[in-house]
Order: sequence, then structure tokens, then C-alpha cells
Amino acid sequence: MALMSRVSKRLRRIIQRPASVELTRYEALLPRIEKREPELEMLDDSELTAAATELGDELSSTGTFSDRQLVEVCALGREAARRGLGERAFDVQLLGTMGLLTGHVVQMQTGEGKTLAGALAAAGYALQGKRVHVISVNDYLARRDAEWMRPVYDLLGVSVGWVEPSLETADRRGAYSAEICYGAVSEIGFDVLRDRLVTDAGDLVQADPEVAIVDEADSVLVDEARVPLVMAGSVDAGVADLEVADIVRRLRVGLHYETDPDGRNAWLTTAGASVVEKSLGGIDLYAEDGADRLASVNVALHAHALLTRDVDYLVRDGKVQLINASRGRVAELQRWPDGLQAAVEAKEQLPPSDRGEILDSITVQALIARYPQVAGMTGTAVAVAEQLREFYELEVAVIPPNTPNVREDAGDRIYAAPNNKLRAIVSEIEEVHATGRPILVGTQDVAESEELAEKLEKAGLPCVVLNARNDAEEAAIIAEAGTYERITVSTQMAGRGTDIRLGGADGSDRERVAETGGLHVIGTARYPSSRLDDQLRGRAGRQGDPGSSVFFASLNDELVLGHAPDVPDGIDADPETGEVTDHAAHRQINHAQRVAEGVDLEIHRNTWRYTRLIEHQRSELLKWRDEVLRTDTAKKTLSELAAGTGDAGDGSGERTGKNGKKAKKAADGTGSGDSGSGDTGPGDTAPGDARSGEAASEDSGAGDTGAAETAARETDSADEIDGAHETGGADDTGGDEPGRTTSGAQRLSGARLTELAEKLGEDELTTVCRRIMLFHMDQRWADHLAFLNNVRETIHLRAMAREQPLDEFHRAAIPEFHKIRGEVESRSAETLASAEVTSDGIDLAAAGVRRPTSTWTYLVQDNPFDSDAEQALKKVRGMLRKKRS
Amino acid sequence: MLSAFRSALATPDLRKKILFTLMIVAVYRLGAVIPAPGVSYNSVQACQAQVEGQSFFTLLNLFSGGALLQLSIFATGIMPYITASIIVQLLTVVIPHFEELKKEGQSGQGKLTQYTRYLTIALAILQATGVIALAERGGMFPNCTESIFPDSSVLTMAITVLTMTAGTAVMMWMGELITERGVGNGMSLLIFLNIAAQIPAEGANILNQNTPLVFGFVCLLALVIIASVVFVEQGQRRIPVQYAKRMVGRRMYGGTSTYLPIKVNQAGVIPVIFGSSLLYLPDLLVNLTGDPQNPSGFTQFIQTYLSDQSSWLHMLLYFALIIFFTYFYITITFNVDDRAEEMKKFGGFIPGIRPGRPTAEYLRFVLSRITLPGSIYLGIVAILPNFFLSLTGEGQNQNFPLGGTAVLIMVGVGLDTVKQIESQLMQRNYEGFLR
Repeated sequence: MALMSRVSKRLRRIIQRPASVELTRYEALLPRIEKREPELEMLDDSELTAAATELGDELSSTGTFSDRQLVEVCALGREAARRGLGERAFDVQLLGTMGLLTGHVVQMQTGEGKTLAGALAAAGYALQGKRVHVISVNDYLARRDAEWMRPVYDLLGVSVGWVEPSLETADRRGAYSAEICYGAVSEIGFDVLRDRLVTDAGDLVQADPEVAIVDEADSVLVDEARVPLVMAGSVDAGVADLEVADIVRRLRVGLHYETDPDGRNAWLTTAGASVVEKSLGGIDLYAEDGADRLASVNVALHAHALLTRDVDYLVRDGKVQLINASRGRVAELQRWPDGLQAAVEAKEQLPPSDRGEILDSITVQALIARYPQVAGMTGTAVAVAEQLREFYELEVAVIPPNTPNVREDAGDRIYAAPNNKLRAIVSEIEEVHATGRPILVGTQDVAESEELAEKLEKAGLPCVVLNARNDAEEAAIIAEAGTYERITVSTQMAGRGTDIRLGGADGSDRERVAETGGLHVIGTARYPSSRLDDQLRGRAGRQGDPGSSVFFASLNDELVLGHAPDVPDGIDADPETGEVTDHAAHRQINHAQRVAEGVDLEIHRNTWRYTRLIEHQRSELLKWRDEVLRTDTAKKTLSELAAGTGDAGDGSGERTGKNGKKAKKAADGTGSGDSGSGDTGPGDTAPGDARSGEAASEDSGAGDTGAAETAARETDSADEIDGAHETGGADDTGGDEPGRTTSGAQRLSGARLTELAEKLGEDELTTVCRRIMLFHMDQRWADHLAFLNNVRETIHLRAMAREQPLDEFHRAAIPEFHKIRGEVESRSAETLASAEVTSDGIDLAAAGVRRPTSTWTYLVQDNPFDSDAEQALKKVRGMLRKKRS
Repeated sequence: MLSAFRSALATPDLRKKILFTLMIVAVYRLGAVIPAPGVSYNSVQACQAQVEGQSFFTLLNLFSGGALLQLSIFATGIMPYITASIIVQLLTVVIPHFEELKKEGQSGQGKLTQYTRYLTIALAILQATGVIALAERGGMFPNCTESIFPDSSVLTMAITVLTMTAGTAVMMWMGELITERGVGNGMSLLIFLNIAAQIPAEGANILNQNTPLVFGFVCLLALVIIASVVFVEQGQRRIPVQYAKRMVGRRMYGGTSTYLPIKVNQAGVIPVIFGSSLLYLPDLLVNLTGDPQNPSGFTQFIQTYLSDQSSWLHMLLYFALIIFFTYFYITITFNVDDRAEEMKKFGGFIPGIRPGRPTAEYLRFVLSRITLPGSIYLGIVAILPNFFLSLTGEGQNQNFPLGGTAVLIMVGVGLDTVKQIESQLMQRNYEGFLR
């Protein structure tokens, strides 16, 4: 059996067909579930809960679900749903539940009741005694689903909670402590990031992750995963360079600056550079030390040339608010990184907001990888099956629809020019509207939705607009989109997770609307992936409803211009309507979409490949952080450092010299991890490190074994660095780092520590040590991230020497990481030594220990570069083309 | 280096990868010496002994690890695959459909790979047929009279062709397996292996023909050459580059890790291959058209000065060609204007130098300066073995394993593979941080 499935998997891979899992095994269970139904109907509510609890006791002893247990979970769930929600779960929903309980991504059509299927699965896992996070795509859905499904959970005896951005820490902790917790992926991710920055173990909100059920899995796991979640803290008030913004505003495209066709980069021309230099008082922008000035010009130019108001951001309440491109809604608490935010604010002449610094980041992959058990559900999974397997090791199971889909999908209608297309869309709406059918129009961005709405208004066609400006009313608008004669114009989000019922939210007018032909969906342009197209089409034809869909496209759409601008010649348009029927045009548009999909996948994979190392480093550092957070390691470490220099002073010079020699020997490879015993302690570290030597002298004198431990550990870390050197990476890590440690440690003396302990009390000192150490740890990590960002930006240049950029990235990142521990310890010692003690206790703020006052998230764009060979080929291609023309 | 290997073997999954690669290597070497069906093993051995090192197919033979002249089941080797990939790459420029596929990212690339495989099979059939026809007519071993195919019926020949084609397909698969589940790039490793496999035999040859003292000297020299090639291959000029598109509060890391590297040997092995191929041409011409009994003046000239690899004219010409091709190749592949343009687009600049044309000029200046020592180095590495010829006597040629091409390829692939192992090691090398 296992062999067969392996063979068939391999075969599917050979014919390169995305795979889906067989469901026949679970279909066989459906009659058994049905048989249990009458028995369960006899129970009263409390008996039902008791039965669930009993099942839970049985489940908690096993890790997986046997067939009988699957039957029980589904039967109980169906009964609970019947009582709690008044709806009996369909067979296909239970199939979905079973798919989820066995760790698959299930594909269920829109409107088939994913929410209930997911809820029953969540209850199943919760009965196992595991904590379940139901991860959805936005906050609204998380809250709605949690509230909606609460009666079911109550009947099954499991608790439920949800998180959203406005929750206070205590409420958050409460929500996470429930057996099932709903939350948006960004919210859960940011709670993880925030938990990584707490300074008191009591402030943690999340417990160890156990099970994740991902709603709208393709959106969460693929679309959202392209961009890592980044947490930033405010450093100081932002400095908007109004002067630069002013200068840049006067520049003209083509003459002073240029942009690339896909709108990712803008740069000054020679003329532009001299204009800017003159305006700034005749400076040289490209001088050796002028990078900062140039950066502010570049950032201002980026804000001016590439970011458009109402497409990329809104100005609301005197603030710049970002629009999340993949969802078309305002991205709360998101900002642009690296001064771009301030530049946009300067462009819009708004007061600058706080300047931030990246504190920590996590990718969706890393977030999901924390959960030992993952399952997901969505309407469009097969299209991303390969990615789900590559990045998440998840298999897709396709659930058949309850009633067959009768939606009619028309072929694309292509127009030569955008204005032809717009006219055709308006007349199409007019035509369909006359029959009374409700219409849903999906546009590409906010500006387009408003332009179309205006056009419709002029044509006497009243419509409802749903875009980032009024996303709060999203669900209500979408729910009513099936009303007779209703026209809804929306951005791409189109209320994922909310059903469009024919005849309005209550379906009262269903018959009349169904007779006219149901909902008609119009796409104003093809989206960058076929999956998004399918999502929009899927709004119509829910649960066997009648419906139809059509996409309009033009060869001047952004999709085509950005990804396949070389439109073949000889595509003729109808002179009157501008419609293009040539097969080549269809091919061109499909090709452009595939290119876009390929680019997205590449971005995704690149993000993943580069962040995997960072995540690894982070998790190693977090182990240490956790230890410091939960125990008194910080104080121990610092007293060890202090003890090391306790009696520093007379006649240690000669000793140190000797130590140095011995240390050299150690560095030559004789020193090994087990040299931690008291007598080998001295000098097994790198040259110049007086600390461990002194620690050992303390050791022999006072018999303080703790000090010997420091020496031994320091030995290890020195060895480790040396090891890294040997394996070819580090150039200059060994020597100076322990030296730094020493200089810090020399200032923190044992006497100082005793003094502090007297003034503050032992407990307070422990807390202070912990806070100082955590602060430096977080600070050092932020620095490390900035360093990695810097390296990442130029690493593609290494390909020029035929080196693998990714390998080179590792080569740069790893030695840098090994410096962290030593530096954190030495900086902490320095801070503790220099902090002033006042009547209120120790003044850490004055010593530079400041936590960020607010945190927010960053929208980061990543840019895959062409490879070397790519460049060469491009050139040849260009030459050929020139010759042809 | 050694400690890296020790810890590589101590890391379970890396050890698995290395062992897997070695297993494929063993299978491959076995296949390289199994004679194809229908071939008379004895005749082949006898002929080989006669023509030792004098065939025109030495370069091909070198790339096939000796399997070609052995007429083994892997006789056609991976050359069809290499040719096919080059052809498909070039076709992406010519055929719009291929160009589209290439742009479509992974799914399109997958289809291109599939096409490459089909083309490989076709080319393998062609090449196998060619090889067999040549061997059957005695063209492969010119002065050998033994009959290589005792039974030359169509059926036998077809089976032989089929076997060799299958051999190529298997090699292609093994190469992909190494790339996927082993260490290094499978195809490069197999080429590396082919060349390295010749060393013992050639060494034995030298030992047989000369005194042990000469042999020892050659070995020593070989080591010195390899060491210096490794040294120069690693050399690079690092031009500092800054990307000024972010505003970062503290700029604490200077230009230490953000630079544009230019290798001393930026052109790689290509100029050597070009140069030696070009020098073969007159030789080939004379051999094909000339009358061996009654050589014309031209033929005599060619044979004295060009074909004889130890002649000073040959060496001088070879050296000059390599220098020319190095400059030529670098001008073609390293387009300074494109680089400067790309840097400008993404907000990068060389501190102190304006973007655009001045940057391009600066890059051109650095490049031309570094190419001179680079090309001289290539030339020296390439003609050094020719000096050996006088030492080791007749019968050696450019393609013997210490020849320029072979050493450069071997060192290149070797360095890449070691680097890859190293980087995988580094990614796992976090234990100890907390100890």
C-alpha cells in the first residue's frame, strides 16, 4: 500500500501533474457517521457534551485518529452543529473535516461551508487535548468565525477565543489560553514576535504551539508568505527631509529620472543628478561619504515616482496608510521601511511619524513550521499544490462540491486600448443590469474601482463601491451583493469568507434572482495569478446556484506591460469597438499571467531561502533568551564576569602573557570542549583575554567553582569561533572579540555588584540584570538584522565571481552571529557597571536601556535579480531583435 | 580543509549525501569499463595499446573518462546532454515559445528541462551511431587492423546503439540524482570524475616510459601546478559598492561585505578550450586532405611546427591565442555598461564615482588591468604541460590529465563542490553556541 502510493506519487511527479490525495478511504466512513446520527439525537445537550468529553479522554492518549474516532468526532460534530447552528453538516463538509484531521490542505468550493468543516476539525484536535490555532486571513473573519461557531464548541465542551489588534495583553492571553483560538495570520505572527521581546516571563501571551488550521490556506500560506512579518520599534522622531522632497517634486520623468516598467525602481539620470546637486548647494552626491544624502534623495524619489496616492496608500486622518496590494485593503499598523515612510509623509506634506528600527522578523513559513501539526482549507489549493508541498510539506485533498457547479465561465474579452475596454465593461454592465441580475465587478485597485464607479454613475447605473476606504462595511456589502438589480464594484478582496447569497443576505428574494440567471461576475483585468481569477469567479455559482463570469482584458493592462510587453505584431482590433479576437492576444495574456506567477514564486522562494538561516539563528538565540527570561542566568553570568575581574590589579601582566601562549596552543587545535576542569581553565581562551585567567586565580584561591565554569564556557565559544574559522568562513572573528569582553568585564567589579545588591536587594538586582541583558540581546539582534539586510542587498553581485550568492550570504552571516553572545555579555557588564543608582532604584534609562515606545510592522518588498547568464542571454536577444527590425 | 571533511562526515545528513554521491560515482565508473554488447573487448584493448594517446578523439575521450575509446556502455557519455543543454539555451533566443517558457519561471523551466532530455536522447542516438560507424570502419584507431565488431549485422549494431543511448540516459539521470540528493552539481562532478579517472593510467604511462626520478619530478610539478591554480582561482579584486536606497540610522558596517568581486581568472577555462580547438584545426585539415605518403610543403610545415606540441611555434601561438580569447571572452560576457546600468537602477554606486558612464569606465579600467595577469596565468597553465613533453617523451599531448584544460576544470569543480559542502556544514554548525 505504502509502496503503491509512493510509486504513484513518483509517477505523478514524472508527468508533472499537481497531486491530490485520495479520499475514498474517508468516503467509506460516511455511512457509519450517518448511522450514529439517530443515537446521538436522543441525547440531551449535557449528555452530548459528556459524550464529547468522554471521547476526548480516549483521544488524548493517542496521537492520531483511528477510523472509529474520526466517525465519532464527525458524528458528534454534526449533531452539535445541528443543535447549535440549526444546520446539518453535509457529507462533503465532514469529508473536509476528516481531511483536516489527517493533516491535509482540503480544497472546498466557495460556499460549501469551510468554516464549519474547519470548526469541527478544530474541535476534534481540541478534544485530543491540544491547543488549536485557527489562522485566518483577516481579523474580521477570525472574530466572526469564532463567534459564529461558539455554540458548536460549547456543545462539544471546548473553549474558544479570538485575537484582534485592539485587544489588550491580558485579553490576548485569555484568548490564547482557550483550547481553540481564532486569529489573523499577522496577528498571531506579531504576538509571536512580541513574545520574543518581553522582559518578564509573566508577559508572554502564547503557549507552545501545537495545532494550526489555516483558513484560506492559499492566501495565507502563499500570498502572505511572500513578505515576512517585520516588527519595528520607534527609535526617535522621524526626520523628513522636506528640502529634498521639494527638489524631487520638481523633477520630471524621462528627463531627470527614469523608472523601470514593473514599477519597482526609480533612478536619477545624469541631468537629474546635477539638478539635485545644484539645488542642494553644489554638493557631490556620489562622494565617498555621501551615501546618507544620496539615500535620502533616492528614497524621496521612490516616494515621488513609484508610490501613487490611492493606489499604494491612502491619506486618512492626516496619516499615510498603506494598502496591502494582495488584498486591496488598508494594512493597519504597517509602514514602509528605511525612511520611505517619512519620505511619503514629506511628499504629502504631513508631519513625520516616528522613525523605526527593525527589531525582529518572521516569515509565514517559519511561523507555520512552529506547529507540529498543520492543516488547511481553501477554495483554490490545487493551483498551489506544488508550493504547499515545497514550503510546508502539505498535501492537497480535493473535496467534491455538494451540488455540481453550473456557473458559466465565458472566455476573456480582449480590447486593444484601456478606454475601449472600459466602454465595453460599462455597456456589459448596462446590458446585464437590464435583466435585473445582480453584478459583482472585481477591479485591480482602489483608483480603478472609483473610476469605474464614476463612469457607471454617469451612465445612470447606481452602484455600491467596496474598497480599502470602507473595508469596515465589507461583510455587509458583500452579503447584499446578490440582491436583485444590485451592482457592486469591489477591489480584489471581494470579501473572502463571506457568502454572496442570491436575493440578499437572508435569501428572501432568491427565486426571482435565480430565474434571471443569478450573480454575474465581471473581472476588469486578469489578476497576476490564475488563482485570484478563480477566487473572483467563485463568488458566483455558490452551492449549485446559477451564475456566470467573464473577464475583460487589454493588451495594455499592467499585467501584460509588466510581464510580457513584447506583444507580437499583427494583432488587429475591430476598428469600431476595439475588440481583439486574435488567438495570439489570448496567448499573450495567458503567458503574461504565467510569467507573473513565476516571478511571485521566485520571490517567495528567495525570501524563504535567505530567511531560513536567519530563522535558524533567531531560534538559537531565542533558546538563550528564554533561559535568561525564565531563570536567573543573567545575574549569574554577570557575577561571573565580575568575579573574573574581582581582584584585577597587581602583577597579572606576567600571568596573562603565559596565558596567551597557552591560548595559542589551544587555538592551534589542542583545546577541546572538555577542558573545563579547574586546572586547564586558565588560558585556554584566545590571547589577551585576562578574564578567564583571573577567573581561574579566583578559583584556586577562593574555591569559587562558578568562575571556572565561565572559563570553561568561554573556552568553548572561543573554540567554536576557531572552528568556524577552520571550516573556511570567518576571517577576523577570533582575536578581538574576547578582548572586548575583557574590557567590559574589567569595569564591572565584584565590589560594584555587592554594592548594587545592598542598595537594591538581591531580587531587584536579578530583575535588573535580566532586563539589561535582554535589552542588549534584543538590541544586538536588531543590529544583526540590519547587518544581514545590508549584506543581502549586494550579495547578488557575488555571482559575478561565479560564487553562489546564498552560500556567500551564509559565509558572511555565520561568523557575525557567533560574535553576538560575547558582545551581549560585555555590553551588559558595561551597562551594569555604569548605571546610576538613585533613590528610585537603578536608572536604566539613563544608561541607555530603553524599550521602544511603540511597535508596528513593515511592508517589505524583495527583489530577485537576474542571474549572470540571464544578463548575457538578454543581451544576445536584444542584438538579434535589433537586427531583425 | 581536512577538519571540514571530518565534520562533514560527522553530520548525519551530509554524510548520507556524500556517501550517496560516492555510490553513484562507483556505479558510473563500473559502467565506464563494461564493454557494450557486440564489441570485441580483446580487439579494443589491442587497438588501444597501439594508438595510445594519438587519436583525434582524445578531447572527447577525456570528457568521457576513457569510456569512448573503450567502447563501453557509457561510451557516448554526458556530451550529448551538455550539447543538448547548450542548444536549448540558444534556442530560447531564437524560438519565441522557448523564450516564453524561460520567462515563466519554474514551470516553464521544467518544460525546457524536459525538452533538453528528449534532445539528449536524440543526440545520443546520433553520436552512438557515429561512434560505432567510425569504429567499425576502423576510423577510430587509424592504424589498428583488428576487427572491433566480430558480428556486424544490423541487429547487433542497433543493440549497441541502443545500449550506448541508454547509457547516456542513465548518466543524465545519475547526474540529476547527484544534484538533487548528493553534493555538488552532478554534471560537473561527472566531468571532473572523467578527467580524474585518467590520471592513474597516464601516471603509469609516464612511469613506464621514464625513470622513477622523472616520474617523481612530474608528480611534484603537478602538485605545484594544482596548488598555484587553486591559489589564483580564489583571487579576486573587490570593488566596494554601496546601495544607497535605505535610510539607516547607524551605518556601522562599512563596505567590508558589500562589494563587487572580479576574479583574476574571470574568463575561466573557456579561452583555453577555444585556443586548443583552434590549433587543432590545421592539424585536422592536413590529416583529412593530405597524402601521408607524399607530404606537401604545407603539410610538412604544419606537422613540424603546429602539430608537434613541444615546438616553440606551437607554444607561442597557443599562448597568444589564449591571451586573445581571454580578452575576447571577457569583453563579451562581462558587460560593464550593463553592470553600471543595473547598479544605477537599484540605487548602487561605487563610492567616489558617479553612476552611469563614469562607473562603466571605471569598471572597464579595473577589468582590463586585472585581465592581463589573468590571461598570462591562463596561458602559462595551458602551455606548462607542453614543457613536460620533452621530459616524458612521445605520446603525450595537451589533453593528458595535467594539461591546462583538465587542471582548470578539475580545480574549478573541486572548489565548487568543497564550497558547497562547507556551506551546508556552516548551516548546521550552530551547536555550541549555547554550550
